[in-house]
Amino acid sequence: MAGVPAQRHDRPRPSPGAGHVVLVPAEPSAERAVERRSSYRLTDPRLSELPLEDLLNELLVRVQEALAVDTVAILLLDVESQQLVARAAKGIEEEVERGVRIPLGLGFAGRIAAERVPIFIADVDHADVLNPILREKGIASLLGVPVIVEGELIGVLHVGSLRPRTFGQDDLAVLQIAAARAAPAIERASLFARLEHEHGVSMVLQRSLLPKRLADVVGVTVAARYLPAREEVGGDWYDVIELPRGRVGVVIGDVVGHGIAAAALMGRLRTALHSYAIEGHGPGRTLELVDRFVHSLNESAMATAAYAVFDTYTSVLQYATAGHLPPIVISDSDARELEVTPAPPLGAFPYGRCPEHELSLGRSEMLLLYTDGLVERRGVELSAGIDALAAAVCGARTPEDACAFAVRELVPAEGLLDDVAIVSLQNAPVPAELHMTLPAEPKTLAQVRRALRRWLNDRGADEGEVAEMTIALSEACANAIEHAYSPSPARFEVHGRARDGEITLTVRDGGRWRAPRGQGRGRGLSIIVAAMDDVQIDRTAEGTEVVMRRRLALK
Amino acid sequence: MSLADVQITLASSALIAHLTGEVDMSNAEEVGATVIGATPNEAQGVILDLSGVDYLDSAGIYVIYGMRASLRARGQSLILVVPPGSPVHGALRLAGAERPGEVAEAVDDALRVFDERPLPGS
Repeated sequence: MAGVPAQRHDRPRPSPGAGHVVLVPAEPSAERAVERRSSYRLTDPRLSELPLEDLLNELLVRVQEALAVDTVAILLLDVESQQLVARAAKGIEEEVERGVRIPLGLGFAGRIAAERVPIFIADVDHADVLNPILREKGIASLLGVPVIVEGELIGVLHVGSLRPRTFGQDDLAVLQIAAARAAPAIERASLFARLEHEHGVSMVLQRSLLPKRLADVVGVTVAARYLPAREEVGGDWYDVIELPRGRVGVVIGDVVGHGIAAAALMGRLRTALHSYAIEGHGPGRTLELVDRFVHSLNESAMATAAYAVFDTYTSVLQYATAGHLPPIVISDSDARELEVTPAPPLGAFPYGRCPEHELSLGRSEMLLLYTDGLVERRGVELSAGIDALAAAVCGARTPEDACAFAVRELVPAEGLLDDVAIVSLQNAPVPAELHMTLPAEPKTLAQVRRALRRWLNDRGADEGEVAEMTIALSEACANAIEHAYSPSPARFEVHGRARDGEITLTVRDGGRWRAPRGQGRGRGLSIIVAAMDDVQIDRTAEGTEVVMRRRLALK
Repeated sequence: MSLADVQITLASSALIAHLTGEVDMSNAEEVGATVIGATPNEAQGVILDLSGVDYLDSAGIYVIYGMRASLRARGQSLILVVPPGSPVHGALRLAGAERPGEVAEAVDDALRVFDERPLPGS
């Protein structure tokens, strides 16, 4: 302990580390002297009204003034890592900027925290100091105290002097008063900050678990909303899933509970349902499989959900629910609640069954799925809430309308108590004539076929006619894509027209028709010829036009 | 959504590739390469099950011919499974290629062909 001025030790203590002197808290008389000197500023009750960062900064400024020190810093205990983390500093701002972390029990601050004693270091150069910043700054002497609230250590407050200084009992008392008075405020503020942080995290989590954008499926228009509750996020979700053979799935779900845990479980259930759905299971079986999945988690988790599968070729809608509110169908003239067979929520009972229902969704009609946060109000019967929703969305012409009307009419101005998810799907109207302009890329072929199948179904073509004309049109489009040479993004056009039972399909592009090459390439043209009654290929300087005609059998 | 899926299983004598979904110029080559790449040298050949395919056009037929050629170069053969009345059956008929090589109506029939065939070199 060379160079350390003698300190008054009221009782002996084990030496805490090289160059460290443990100070014993001052006598009451000394504290009174301090009260006189250091003023009311350190014990200002208004400090506790500040948010954590402001509180810490203000406290440090006041300590710096009261003790006339060069540096002052506060480190708070991170319970999980058992490390002290620099949270605010004056004169040694680098501590915070560099994110200094001191393990409990090591070095100057670490020992103060572990042993809950004030420590004075007269000569930093010859002491056990872990944090290099203290030396880099040229601090000569240090004094630190533990910050304790209700017997729990929450951090360390320390001051430093660039010239050697002997911190005395008065200085210690000032620092201890600052620490003692600030401790509950810090605790309260950091609890609040943690809650705010958790809310922020769960919001981000919730957002990232919902679809980034809705699937774009030929034959339907979709829209969705997610509205968090005023206080907390929940576990509501929606999904739109493109399925094989022109079908599309639409999902709504609600995990019981709130906060990060509910949002995380929601993410897993959304994934599980999506996975079972793309396997091709129907709505009832899909929900049953998700139910088994929830049981397998062994977490006493529970959720409600509704899942519907819409066939864009046949307009048949199949749906099932698991403890969820009934879907609503919106038509030109009204909005009505669909019949559902009551089924238990997912995870509620072993081997829950989810009976399926089926209906034909007319052209332009819409399905609306929603969670209970939208229709549940204190003191209002649930059925009244659902009626209010049906009344609100009646008259909607698009899914976007339906979502907007529902939010406008049912979400209270003061915010929601529970989160809300809404998703709506419309059986898009089929135009009398087909007209598409598409980029000359192979992946657009599937889109053309979906649109054509739907359009031909609507014109009364039978299954065989649809299949053969679809392959003919797809072959003609493939050819347009293959000889699209232009350096700018090339496009091609598709037209479909029905007159007196005859279908005319036209594919037009800006390139030249290529002579068939190779074994497979000539086959495209022979397929077109075999599938249609009449084929004309018109090649001009502007491009190539393929016109294909076929008369429908129309029984 | 991916347009098509290939599920591959190995039987004692042949590799069975179950194809589902739609095959057009956007994915035909990849589908063919996937099946050929998965075929072990020991297999007598490949059974390409097209019964679950909803759509196949000239690009797909072209790739099937290509698969047959590359298998033949390795001394292996290709049997297509095309049930009557299936979408692929219709496409092959339109293309005038109803029997693009050996065709069976079901996977079991195709397996029997391989099982009854003498092993190479025996």
